[in-house]
Amino acid sequence: MPRIITYIDAINEALRQEMERDERVFLLGEDIGLSGGVFKATAGLLDKFGEDRVIDSPLAEGIIIGASLGAAMVGWRPVPEIQFADFITPAMEQLIQQAAKLRYRSAGAFECPITVRVCCGGGMGSGLYHSQENAGWFVHEPGLKVVMPATAYDAKGLLLAAIRDPNPVLYFEHKKLYRGVKDDVPEGDYTVEIGRALVRREGTDLTVLTYGSMVHTALASAEEMAKQGVFAEVVDLRTLSPLDKDTILASVRKTNKCMIVHEDKRTMGIGAELAAIVSEEAFEDLDGPIMRITGPDVPAIPFSPALEKAWMVDQPKVVAAMEQLAAY
Amino acid sequence: MSQEHESTVLEAETEISGHSRETLLGLYEMLVKCRMADEKARILFRQSKFAGNFFSGVGQEATEVGSAYTLRDDDWIAPSHRDWTANIIKGVPLKLCFAQLFAKTTSPDRGRSAPAHMGYGPLNIITPASSIAGQMNLGTGVALGLKKLGRDSVVVSFFGDGATSFGGTHEAMNFAGVHRLPIIFVCQNNLWAESVPLRLQTALTDLSDRAKAYGFPGISVDGNNVLAVYDAANDAIARARKGQGPTFIECKTYRWYGHSEIDPAKYRSKEELESWKKKDPVAQFEKKLYAEGLLNDEMKKAIAVNITEQINEAVDFADQSPYPDASELTDYVWA
Repeated sequence: MPRIITYIDAINEALRQEMERDERVFLLGEDIGLSGGVFKATAGLLDKFGEDRVIDSPLAEGIIIGASLGAAMVGWRPVPEIQFADFITPAMEQLIQQAAKLRYRSAGAFECPITVRVCCGGGMGSGLYHSQENAGWFVHEPGLKVVMPATAYDAKGLLLAAIRDPNPVLYFEHKKLYRGVKDDVPEGDYTVEIGRALVRREGTDLTVLTYGSMVHTALASAEEMAKQGVFAEVVDLRTLSPLDKDTILASVRKTNKCMIVHEDKRTMGIGAELAAIVSEEAFEDLDGPIMRITGPDVPAIPFSPALEKAWMVDQPKVVAAMEQLAAY
Repeated sequence: MSQEHESTVLEAETEISGHSRETLLGLYEMLVKCRMADEKARILFRQSKFAGNFFSGVGQEATEVGSAYTLRDDDWIAPSHRDWTANIIKGVPLKLCFAQLFAKTTSPDRGRSAPAHMGYGPLNIITPASSIAGQMNLGTGVALGLKKLGRDSVVVSFFGDGATSFGGTHEAMNFAGVHRLPIIFVCQNNLWAESVPLRLQTALTDLSDRAKAYGFPGISVDGNNVLAVYDAANDAIARARKGQGPTFIECKTYRWYGHSEIDPAKYRSKEELESWKKKDPVAQFEKKLYAEGLLNDEMKKAIAVNITEQINEAVDFADQSPYPDASELTDYVWA
């Protein structure tokens, strides 16, 4: 009997179950306690676990991360929340200079296993500063793991894996999926291995590398293309760092064509790295150009619905690209 | 151009009679050890025995010795780039300290961090980043972790006057105040943040005034008087151990040399430097001990000879240690 729950409920359940299982886990962030989170991801947790384990923080992202790192250094497993990915910038010093480098610069003497939950993504009419999908900023920093689930199943399994991982992990959760995605989530304990991509849809004609909310856009596009007799394989990366090169390359070698779909801006984005990997390691297998269907090189998603629609990668844009690539 | 600490410095109870002979001589010996090790490091840098740079703390020794001398092994230090000698005070073997300068494989971080950016896991000294004040956020987090563990260990976080302007410093101290964390913020105000004078850094006269904004006590002390620092720090440490929260201690002091070994510090006047050299924290304390009959020429010489031997041995160890193998480049990226 499947147990269908939403992506946000899967996140809430993972936090609750892991806090029950492991006393070292505590939460720190803005509005996570009394209010239960802007999107209610942490609803009910303050009542259940108390103020020592669900801490409403001052409005200061730097110390949300800094305090979490320090507590992790003495054995805690903090799960700080960045309410909107757009506002992660004040914590960049802590994430880039401290979290990513602490283990390296001390030759393993100090470790900081924190899981930073980052609410991201557009398509919700939230404007320039509540819509950014900026996971790509962190993929450039070895020492930080970066994951982004696309399903409720992965939301729970990746979050549990992240909290148990000995490295700092940035866990990007897409706000459009919070209540936009529901699927079968086991009630019990399980993890989704970090560093493993998943072929969401098998195909023979072209490979789509994607992640986050775009997985669903790619799947819908592949479904539409199947009616035309073009069979796209959709690879959900799930982990953005470290990348699962084996799954990526195996798919490209099978279909001989590759396109990358992401919501974030284009230039020097995750798609550029994926294209470079495929070009370097599967050049002989390619029968067409590596294509990127991405957000535009515009600073952020504008507020007007008409402009946001123009920004967002959607099914018609992906289908058009699939038709173009299939024609090679 | 000359700057002075204009305020009335609160003289803590600095009566020599309030301290044991053992403590007084221990503090003296540690001051001398830090001074000699630091001066040796500067010589080694000039001899090109190690590359990169070095951030001398000569002139500021009393700030570190006074506040870290009584720390236990389970206490933590969050040092800055100018606190290489804090490792010595907490008990890290000298040979490891010099191996750190030489970036050898025997250094605690196996040659990864810059020469003066030294930490040591077994004694809870956080390996610092170069980004100013970053250590205060980590230190505050460690203090949160210690409090949650229900332990009475404390954190001492060192930083300069320049670091007080950084936004992260505000975030750390505010958070430490909210949660009454066991951390002592020790500000080594040496009047110059690299080349920027204090008057362009802050409109405050006493940096300890900042503590008011965070709801915990702040005190300004003569940072060249080791007993003044020692007494203020011990009060703060005792409060922190009892769960009474953070303290901000401003140590008014001066660095004798440039920001780093490649900085001739021409932005400062000779008169200013000379006036501070007259307030040498080591010589002043030595004079007090002589006056009290606790120290004599023979003892002084024996201490210096002993430390010289230790340093020479440590330098030899560092010199003879191998550099890390190129194959180690990618070690310690991931756990």
